[in-house]
Amino acid sequence: MTIHNLYIFDRNGTLMYYGEWNRKKAGTMNKEEEGKLVYGMLFSLRSFLEKISPLDLKDNSFCYRTSKYKMNYWESPTGVKFVMNTDLSSPNVKDLLRLIYQMVYVEYVVKNPVCPMGEYIHSELFAQKLDEVVKSSLIYTSKTS
Amino acid sequence: MALPPQSTSTTAPPDELPLELLHGELIFSGILLSKDKEGDINELLSKLEFIGFSTGYRLIERLLKDSTRFKDELDTIKFICKDFWVAIYKKQIDNLRTNHQGTYVLQDNCFKLLSKISATKQYLEHGPKFLAFTCGIIRGALSNLGISSVVVAEISTMPTCRFHITIQRAT
Repeated sequence: MTIHNLYIFDRNGTLMYYGEWNRKKAGTMNKEEEGKLVYGMLFSLRSFLEKISPLDLKDNSFCYRTSKYKMNYWESPTGVKFVMNTDLSSPNVKDLLRLIYQMVYVEYVVKNPVCPMGEYIHSELFAQKLDEVVKSSLIYTSKTS
Repeated sequence: MALPPQSTSTTAPPDELPLELLHGELIFSGILLSKDKEGDINELLSKLEFIGFSTGYRLIERLLKDSTRFKDELDTIKFICKDFWVAIYKKQIDNLRTNHQGTYVLQDNCFKLLSKISATKQYLEHGPKFLAFTCGIIRGALSNLGISSVVVAEISTMPTCRFHITIQRAT
């Protein structure tokens, strides 16, 4: 059970942070382009789901799985989007994403006056605390599957 | 879906938030507006220090309304380290040093307004801007107690900071 990587977007689609722990295949494009690609896909997928879903579930989270990995998405009420790719055997990470938002994002970005809102997060303290939370969660193991 | 417990060590209760956010915004709009012009930054910092001075002056009046006079100067500084700091930042000063000749060094190992910014040397150049207001508060408080002083702050690593108080004696 491993976590591959994490994207954080703000409500305008700007990539706020990208963290990776276990990515086997490096992407073919640079970080910003990849961020835009992921955001565009998520935006379309979310509006598609809203229209086509047969159940009346007002949820701010969804996930998709391929044969090799699972992508989990969670959105805060203010529009901050967390996207995490895990492997197939991981349980639902919705709670972990919400925890990351509450304990790391709000504490070390929103409350940090040196970090401007709407720009990429350069704060090392944020990166360190994020790393701590991810590594201490039950889903992360250092062994690659 | 189980929510994590409300009172964890990393989340502050909501009543401390307005001061932190307001102070952070004051500094941030100052940094943003001045755009590397040295003179502007210093002007902003001295204005901020003066705002702190007025605040400290009035705050100490309010906090001491039921207390007795202090025995001596050291006692006054100890009050600043304990009750005064607790009233503003909900914790005490961690270390006090003095040379018994009018110089005091107050060390705070995890200064509230710096704890969310960095735990290493990142953003060190912005650190002193966040201390100007607090230097003013200390100077104002001492001034209302009849002690005229100069307060300077220094940071070596975030979030630890030191305040140097030098008492000006009338010669």
